[in-house]
Amino acid sequence: MKKQEKAKAYLFRYWQLYAMLIIPFLYFLLFKYVPLFGNVLAFRRYRPGMGPFGTEWVGLHYFQRFWGDPAFWRAFRNTLVLSLLNLVVNFPIPIVFAILLNEVRWLPFKKAVQTVSYMPRFISTVVVIAILGELLSPSTGIVNIIRMNVFGQKAIYFINEAKYFRWIYILVDTWQYTGWTAIIYLAAITAIPADLYEAATIDGATRIQQIFYVTIPSIMPTIMVMLILNVGRLLSLGFEKVLLLYTPDNSMVSDIIDTLVYRTGLANQNYSYATAIGLFSGIIGVILVSSSNFLSRKITGEGVY
Amino acid sequence: MKSYRDRSTILFQILVYTVMIFTLMVTLIPLISMAALSLSSSKAIVNNEVFLWPKGLTFEAYRQIFTYPNFFRAYGNTIFYTFFGTAISLLVMIFFAFPLSKPALKGTKFVLKLVVFSMFFSGGLIPNYLLISNLGLTNTRWAILLPFAINQFNLILLINFFKSIPIDLEEAAIIDGVNYAGILTRIVLPLSGAALATVGLYTAVFFWNDWFNGLIYLKSSQFPVMLFLRNIVTGTSMVGEAAGVGDKSAIAISIKSAVIVTSTLPIILLYPFLQRYFVKGVMIGAVKG
Repeated sequence: MKKQEKAKAYLFRYWQLYAMLIIPFLYFLLFKYVPLFGNVLAFRRYRPGMGPFGTEWVGLHYFQRFWGDPAFWRAFRNTLVLSLLNLVVNFPIPIVFAILLNEVRWLPFKKAVQTVSYMPRFISTVVVIAILGELLSPSTGIVNIIRMNVFGQKAIYFINEAKYFRWIYILVDTWQYTGWTAIIYLAAITAIPADLYEAATIDGATRIQQIFYVTIPSIMPTIMVMLILNVGRLLSLGFEKVLLLYTPDNSMVSDIIDTLVYRTGLANQNYSYATAIGLFSGIIGVILVSSSNFLSRKITGEGVY
Repeated sequence: MKSYRDRSTILFQILVYTVMIFTLMVTLIPLISMAALSLSSSKAIVNNEVFLWPKGLTFEAYRQIFTYPNFFRAYGNTIFYTFFGTAISLLVMIFFAFPLSKPALKGTKFVLKLVVFSMFFSGGLIPNYLLISNLGLTNTRWAILLPFAINQFNLILLINFFKSIPIDLEEAAIIDGVNYAGILTRIVLPLSGAALATVGLYTAVFFWNDWFNGLIYLKSSQFPVMLFLRNIVTGTSMVGEAAGVGDKSAIAISIKSAVIVTSTLPIILLYPFLQRYFVKGVMIGAVKG
């Protein structure tokens, strides 16, 4: 009987919380878990008007199809190359930026640089690409005007040429996220105890030596965690940015898995086929995240998640 | 203080300030240049005379976009999506996060696991699209307002914040006979200004900047301004480049720049005031994914 009373008291105290929870929870299941289970479409044939889960089982049919599809392998290679290149370039830049910003002694200037450098994170990718399009335009863009008038070179239609696509993507990423990502490293630097620097100064270390012997070793754990996070997210490129930069002329390097899914799925309405490709890359993503998290537990003693 | 006067230190300081000034320039010049183009005469644009300062100052481009009904409609749509999308999102997330911030409540652990799992493994583009079209939301404004209300990252941020409110306050209120609805509205929410501002701003920026969901779910009368801009860029840039250095392309450029300026200005103006909240948010987010 006591147990029952306890349960009664528990419900009496908490029923309102359950009442609050129920609608958001169902909402969450509808918009997050129904699509998640919607992935079964990768194994089923889709018929219009017969529901989002398809009509009959076809096994691995769609997987076999994309496995033999050169367009898939091209997209897969492009995704890997672009992600790795982006990681190599854009992982160290915020670290260097944060360390250098920390060396600025003139505080109002430091604050101004911080404020300005976070800003691009809040500007729409559409706007960023539109500005880029104007700056790089072959007829009126400032880059080509300088090339033509100062260096006497011919104008280049940068946005449309395949060989510039990867660098454009990566530099836009640098522009958008350097300041924002640096916040995390700046916070780690601020947390370094001041007496470490005082001790180094007494030992005669210059500012540069202090960076190499105090600052960098102190923020190493943060750097490692961020590296693991980034490796885990390796396949999730900025889909919208790629889509906005995509032109038929640069498609041989700019067609990534996400744009392939978008094209085959929404433009050509091969829903099951596109779902299979999306599911495949999603599973690789999960494997990457969990293995990098596992490594993090092994190396640093704590997981990120 | 010998080390401050040492030569390598001085050179290093010069390097530091050079990098910072470079950063400022690289970030600001594209934006200033757009503002200058939007205020310049087409003659100056054609002759490539405009860089950072408007030449032949004119408000023609703004006059044109403000008399162009599609622009106004798109801008209004964006304000609508941003306002109601953020309101719905905050409402749902507050009622979701508050119970989940009570570890004593049975079942919260399981729900939290479901939330975290869905951050790593999700439905992907096609299953989401099919769900929304099967719910009959396609071509309605609900397709933008409803599906994105719960963002797991923001939700965890809110839960962590609610958890940091001292439990004594809650216990005292319960002894006084206040129920949980009262605790939420009278204790928790008034103390959560910073967290709600952070989450609200992230959400508002998401809705303000979104164009892709508009592209796949909406019809053109419902397009937000960012999609409108994207269509100007893809549509008129062809005309502009094909027409070469003509008057038409110059007008297209100043109009494009005017749309860029008007659609970005609200964010640029607001954001320095909200910076401290944003920064707080990224710190909490850095710990939890």
